[in-house]
Amino acid sequence: MAKAVETQNLERVKSVRRVPQEEYYVPGHRTCQGCGPALCYKLVSKATGPDSIFLGPTGCMYVANTSYLCSPFAYPWMHTQITNAGAVASGVEAAYQVLIRKGKYKGKLPNIVVMGGDGGSIDIGLQAMSGMMYRGHDALFIMYDNESYANTGIQTSPMSPYGANTTFTPPGKAIPEGKVLFPKDAPQMVIGGHPAVKYVATASLAYPVDLINKVRKGLNVVGPTFIHIHCPCPKGWLFDADKTIEVAKLAIETGMWVNYEWEEGEYTYQHTPKEYTPVKEYMKTQERFSHLTDEHIAKMQAFIDAKLKAPGKPVPLPVTSPRESV
Amino acid sequence: MAKEMFLAGCSAAAYGAALARVEVITSFPIRPYTGIMMELSKLVANGELDAEFVHGEGEHAQVAIAYGAAAAGARAYTGSSGVGVTYAMECYSPASGGRLPCQMAIADRALDPPGDFGSEHTDVMSCRDQGWIMGWAETPQEVLDNTIIYYRIGEDPRVLLPQFCCQDGYFVSHIPGKVVMPEQSQVDEFLPPYKHPHALDPTKPISHGPQIYPDQGPAINLQRAQAFLDTPAVIEEVIEDFNKIFGRDYKPFLDEYRTDDADFVFFIQGGHARTARFAVNHLREKGVKAGMVKLRFVRPFPTEAVAETLSKFKAVGCVENSTSYGGAMKGGNLIHEVRSALYDVDNPPAVTSFMSGLGGEVVSLEEFYSMAKVLAEAAKTGKVEQYVYWVGFDKGV
Repeated sequence: MAKAVETQNLERVKSVRRVPQEEYYVPGHRTCQGCGPALCYKLVSKATGPDSIFLGPTGCMYVANTSYLCSPFAYPWMHTQITNAGAVASGVEAAYQVLIRKGKYKGKLPNIVVMGGDGGSIDIGLQAMSGMMYRGHDALFIMYDNESYANTGIQTSPMSPYGANTTFTPPGKAIPEGKVLFPKDAPQMVIGGHPAVKYVATASLAYPVDLINKVRKGLNVVGPTFIHIHCPCPKGWLFDADKTIEVAKLAIETGMWVNYEWEEGEYTYQHTPKEYTPVKEYMKTQERFSHLTDEHIAKMQAFIDAKLKAPGKPVPLPVTSPRESV
Repeated sequence: MAKEMFLAGCSAAAYGAALARVEVITSFPIRPYTGIMMELSKLVANGELDAEFVHGEGEHAQVAIAYGAAAAGARAYTGSSGVGVTYAMECYSPASGGRLPCQMAIADRALDPPGDFGSEHTDVMSCRDQGWIMGWAETPQEVLDNTIIYYRIGEDPRVLLPQFCCQDGYFVSHIPGKVVMPEQSQVDEFLPPYKHPHALDPTKPISHGPQIYPDQGPAINLQRAQAFLDTPAVIEEVIEDFNKIFGRDYKPFLDEYRTDDADFVFFIQGGHARTARFAVNHLREKGVKAGMVKLRFVRPFPTEAVAETLSKFKAVGCVENSTSYGGAMKGGNLIHEVRSALYDVDNPPAVTSFMSGLGGEVVSLEEFYSMAKVLAEAAKTGKVEQYVYWVGFDKGV
């Protein structure tokens, strides 16, 4: 595909004071108090600005946002099936390529952004997401990760952590830890299997300027890009609504979440703690882990330790294993 | 003088799409429709058609890419066959409910099991309630013409609906026939550039497909239903215009063949109508007053035209090429529509149906003759003994 159309160049934001005042994700939605994904939408919208088209697969950010006649989106927004966001975005992008080439649309290529939940990105939506990444469409796929099918009542997704109590993985006598599987690694799946992708990043609500700049960087790259954003969910993870940012921060401090960028093969890491806090401190903040025993928590710690040893990641490992129960 | 070519249905569809200046094409391979995309990919590769060619990762993606492109303001084209058609099922209602008039070319194929390359209408007929315009072509010429006609109908602001532009696999898609190629200037005169009134455009932000409350549902459904109520008048207008510009003689809904003094007719859609015409000729030579009525659109179903036309005859035999297991008439689909359309008619004809050609078997002249025997008897007695005959299996056929 010839990629000759003119694209946008979004400036880097230097500090939180320089973040645009304008809101493009406006009141009129009915997300929960303390909703991580809603805050994510707000920040991403500030990053993209209005010259954008958003595709929203089914999920919390569809159901809780788009009550008919009451849309919070100040840019064109379209619902997609939970299965096909990557494909619909591909169609929109292909349309703009040809319309701009033929002179039927006069502007620059709009920022084409998918806002997919973990299910719509890496589970039921995986095929369409991968298709978009493979084919090289000039669009950004954001996976706002609240680690469950939250909209339908907190059912397990491939991103739900080991040990999570979800409504499909309740802990019981036979299965004491609740969820027994470990999550997928979404950005690594994109990086590892899609040669057209030049930029992949992870971001956290705890660091909004970093998040905004990663979104802008992703959009400035010509071609498909992927950003995985950690979005704590008070209702699903069972913590108080005013603790969303604290939980996000603690995820980074414990190694549950790692902020990094991958640009054409090169990794850079952000917000790496000097010393990792044991993961039990993170798990303590959320009731979804309250049933776990030392043995389970040690298993979780081992998983994190191994993950932190991932390629390209030279970090000091946590030395202590948790000894107390949560 | 218009150029004549010898084309199979797949190539005819591809040329139709190219003449319609499609802008986003999205493919996935499955026999037998694949030939359409093979042809289009050559036109794009050679620079003869300026379009984005997107290789979908499956039919579900194909339809999603097509309606995404239609939503963004590009004329979009896709296609499939058989299980590919049903794999994409989830995406049909969002396309029609979103009022996104993309086109999907179909060359029919039987569903699994058993694995079968043969043609059967069950694939698309299973999607008939999803809000797409739907009809079958009999010849490669009709395939090409329908491709252009369907875009004009679907993109009409009174309609705004996606379209299944169907042809029988192999019988039409792979058997060449004479095709009079329209001039590009004729097509441009007939089919204006695509412009969606509510496209995804950052200069005019709107939200598509929001969540509603249940009490908002009926009104929205009624709008889609109303579009189908408004479509027949648009079809009549469009066909008249097409005939004028291209010098053809299409009827909008029903194509009658030797029905003037017919006692009974075969009611049929798609490629087997071709055989039915020969069967009618041979029956006429033997003095049997047979005729044929070919259905050009099954959605919207032309209820009034069917009632008016079929009530002229003593007996009607729906030649079914799709299944409706456990349905009211215990066979195919057309008979349900036909009997409903005739319910309020005074002295309705006797109506039965024939399951034939399933799995892609040829519906032979002999089969039409045996159907004719049943229909001649029904015409004489004014009633049918069975609602459905499985041709080759049931007594009397």
